[in-house]
Amino acid sequence: MKKARGIGSLLAATMLALSMVVSGAANVAAASSGTGEAKGKVFNYGTMAYGVAMGNVGVNPHEGYSGWSTIRYGVGETLFKFNAAMELEPWLAKGYERIDPYTIRIDLRDDVFFSNGEKMTGESVKACLEHLLAAHNRAPKDLQIKSITAHGQSVTITSEAKVPALLNYLSDPYGAIINMKAGISEDKNVVGTGPYVATQISDTEISLVANGQYWNGTPKIDRINIKSITDGDTLTMALQSGEIDAAQGLPYASLQLFRSDDRYKINSASTSRVYQACMNYKSEVIQDDAVRKAIAMGIDKEGFTSVLLQGNGSPTVGPFPANFKFGGDAVKGEPYDIEGAKQVLETAGWVDSDGDGIREKGGHKLTIDWLTYTSRQELPLLAESVQATLKLAGMDVKVNATDNSKDFLKAGKWDVYASAFVAAPTGDPQYYFTTHVVASSDYNRGGYYNDMVEKLVESLGNEFDPAKRGELAVKISQQILDDHAYAYASHLKMSLVMKEGVTGFVAHPSDYYEITANLDKNE
Amino acid sequence: MQSVAGDAVDALYDNISGGVSEEIKAERRAELGLDKPFLVQYANWLKGLVQGDMGISYLSGKAVFPTFMSKLPATLLLMVSSISLTVTVSIPLGVLAAVRQNRILDYVVRGLTFAGNSLPGFFTSLLLIYFFSLKLRLLPVMGGTISLKSIILPTLTLAIAMSSKYIRQVRVTVLEELQKDYVTGARARGVRESVIMYANVLKTAMLTIITLLALSIGSLLGGTAIIETIFMWDGVGKLAVDSILMRDYPMIQAYVIWMALIYVAVNLVTDLLYHFLDPRIRRAHSA
Amino acid sequence: MKAGFRISKSIRFRILLSLAGVLLVVSALSPLLAPYDPYVQDLSQALQPPSGMHWLGTDRYGRDMLSRVMVGGRTTLYTALSLVAVISVFGTLVGIVSGYKGGRIDTFLMRVSDIFLAFPGMVFAIAVAGVLGGGLINAVMALAFISWPKYARLARGQVLSIKSLSYFSAARLSGSGTVKIIFRHILPNITGIILVTATLDIGTMIMELAALSFLGLGATPPTPEWGSMMSNGRSMLQTSPWVILAPGCAIFISVVIFNLLGDTVRDVLDPKNNQ
Repeated sequence: MKKARGIGSLLAATMLALSMVVSGAANVAAASSGTGEAKGKVFNYGTMAYGVAMGNVGVNPHEGYSGWSTIRYGVGETLFKFNAAMELEPWLAKGYERIDPYTIRIDLRDDVFFSNGEKMTGESVKACLEHLLAAHNRAPKDLQIKSITAHGQSVTITSEAKVPALLNYLSDPYGAIINMKAGISEDKNVVGTGPYVATQISDTEISLVANGQYWNGTPKIDRINIKSITDGDTLTMALQSGEIDAAQGLPYASLQLFRSDDRYKINSASTSRVYQACMNYKSEVIQDDAVRKAIAMGIDKEGFTSVLLQGNGSPTVGPFPANFKFGGDAVKGEPYDIEGAKQVLETAGWVDSDGDGIREKGGHKLTIDWLTYTSRQELPLLAESVQATLKLAGMDVKVNATDNSKDFLKAGKWDVYASAFVAAPTGDPQYYFTTHVVASSDYNRGGYYNDMVEKLVESLGNEFDPAKRGELAVKISQQILDDHAYAYASHLKMSLVMKEGVTGFVAHPSDYYEITANLDKNE
Repeated sequence: MQSVAGDAVDALYDNISGGVSEEIKAERRAELGLDKPFLVQYANWLKGLVQGDMGISYLSGKAVFPTFMSKLPATLLLMVSSISLTVTVSIPLGVLAAVRQNRILDYVVRGLTFAGNSLPGFFTSLLLIYFFSLKLRLLPVMGGTISLKSIILPTLTLAIAMSSKYIRQVRVTVLEELQKDYVTGARARGVRESVIMYANVLKTAMLTIITLLALSIGSLLGGTAIIETIFMWDGVGKLAVDSILMRDYPMIQAYVIWMALIYVAVNLVTDLLYHFLDPRIRRAHSA
Repeated sequence: MKAGFRISKSIRFRILLSLAGVLLVVSALSPLLAPYDPYVQDLSQALQPPSGMHWLGTDRYGRDMLSRVMVGGRTTLYTALSLVAVISVFGTLVGIVSGYKGGRIDTFLMRVSDIFLAFPGMVFAIAVAGVLGGGLINAVMALAFISWPKYARLARGQVLSIKSLSYFSAARLSGSGTVKIIFRHILPNITGIILVTATLDIGTMIMELAALSFLGLGATPPTPEWGSMMSNGRSMLQTSPWVILAPGCAIFISVVIFNLLGDTVRDVLDPKNNQ
């Protein structure tokens, strides 16, 4: 081996490196502890849902999906909000009057102030919405606003086309009302009307302080730190160790841990994110009605939600969850019935003649390519579950859970495509149907076409009465189910897990509202 | 360096809701230049690179270089701390195991190194968090805010894996050295054992460590990616993992280029140190 | 004393070799030996702790962990083994050609391996796997890309030192052909060190496959593979620890056996270390 001289200098270098680390770390520690030791109640919140990968960094609602952060973390509010049944209620608005199919007047509350002390008026709302239309990528297409006029505490919106869901769209997080005079800061901060004010914003953390002039109650927590925690185990253990007071997005396996521990409590809500299987009408085997029906009958929704998702999902019949008037039991579908599925296949001529457990017809084996992706943890679970249950019915399901599902979709190399989709982000059914079931839909990957569905969806676009819209939605959903064009497995249940002493922290079906003035914490 | 596996625009919108019209996705792709053929994209990227512009992130829309630079110090800090810990632990333990060869201490140390070498890093870190943060409540789980306390666990995880290699190597080196004639000679002359150890054998051990450092800096750089993800350490490793998951190619490219630069730089420094420390190489060069 | 030492070493060697053999045979025959089908789900049996029926418990699909670990061994061990075989043979060939031919070919081959060496190993593997997408094949390719130059360097160095020996010149003078020289004189002399490095590399590869699995770049479900079984089961460490501990122990034991085996082979081949 090689001999060395100058070992002293090397040791010195090591010592230097060591001392640099220690002093460096100490400096940073000093800097961070300086901000951490403020007086009052501090609430630390760990969430999987904030960060660059979610497209919602910052609290500027006029950019991408950052409006979700504006609303979720109590910085801004929209004109209307959703209740637990996903119906609209006034929030910053007092009410509205529809003057004609193209014109609507929204009356604003008189007692709302921005966090910089300025009053919210018709003019300030107009300025905000006009900036939204100019700056945002989705809003102009959703809202189709031609012009906005302001009179005192009201704004009048004129549309370019009939937009029955205009108020729903305005309640999308991008509709958070911000003070355009204060503008948007370099670090994507804004001045809103909410109970909390963002003081510091980074890719991984938002610091909030109470808004002393909040119009609707007094915020009970003095400081809130929103921390992006993208690893499920880290999130779990951070909550267990007490570093955070509440967590969003815990892995299912960990929820069980907190459920059985009375130092924590869980608040859940069923969202409209639906796990669905789209049938590919371009595939020969799927064109067989019996095969589609058998697949629909072969999904063990109960087993999937109760065992694999450990209760963190609700089985569903149609695309909308039970808290919607037009969701839940409003539609009828195939129940889980393996014997029935066998019968259906048998009658259609699918018989297992070579005794390998897989049915054949005309020399072809009953093999289904089940395409799905892995970024939603539930989808591979669903695929594996369906693979096992359909095998019992004599169907060979080949699961392809891949990151490049888009390429397989394009290549048409699939029979069933399972995906997750937020069916009604703004509580309105039209969105799902226009994106999924008509010939021109972006997400109608399987090429489903039904004349009646086309007509019904068209009439939905001209119907303003919410009750009638609901009836139409039920009709359309039922037709999709009768055609077995889509099979729906379950809806995602989102859960907030918090320490026992946390109050006023409630999961909402829309997934929009998290931190409100009601949030409190008792040690 | 683009793949067939979907693109960042798909990844982002899938992550959020999957409910965005193809029209909006197409607009975003056009903005980012993702609608152009692969070779054109690559040429544009190369052109930018030559001019010192690493492009913008497909996800955040921010320039890649400043984002990367803002997160680099945290990673370097973690690397320096784990290397320092490794060196401080490996030399004494390696030497001790060699001196006590085939005695209990030797077996214990070697057993531990085998254990440390045979567990995946993510598992070690989970165990460490479990015991130190949950059971003993001594240290925080997350490194979100960099502090003296939050750096301990990630450093420990990295150092355990590295020390396991280093200790074994130091032990073998010292054993070899102790067989050398000059040691026998020194012993025969009655030079004290401790003097032999400090003055001769340790120097060699140092050289071994340097060789190893240069070799293992690569796996350390890769290792930080995993450890940073687990401990929410806001460095370039976590950035790289997030970028891979979201197919943010400009960011991945920046990461790979910079890590390669750092790696080459470290190797260069090692060579210089060698030259400085090893008289034979020095003489060979001056001759 | 010295002889006894070497025999005891070789007894250790034999024991380790048979342990490794048992591992390989059991995993090779695992489809026959496994008590259950590792792919069959039984949701009513999900996450059962170890019992008489399921020695290592069941996973969240109700699949038998013991069967999955056994069949997973086939994936993991043979993947690592073939990976090491391919890179060591390829790398060694490159090294021999480079060292034997010298000149421009040598310069060219060594510059190519320099390029691969200029990238830190795991970083490059992460990038390759990230670009190619997940999956066991891609992970293996990524690891192969970065691992062969080590063998090329090693082999080249050995060839250069053999070239300087007198018997080599003699063989050359006696008119032996290139192929004969390589097979008769070079290969037998470098197999030992290549073998030691390769044995030690098996453990490393198992660990790196596990690391890639953690990043979602390893084997895809439902294929059982130890690394991905571990990383998929990690959120159950506190609730159902057997799901992560079973493959974890399997990795641990295998890596220890192969590392000890590598060490022992080195000691046996290199008597200098034994004194």
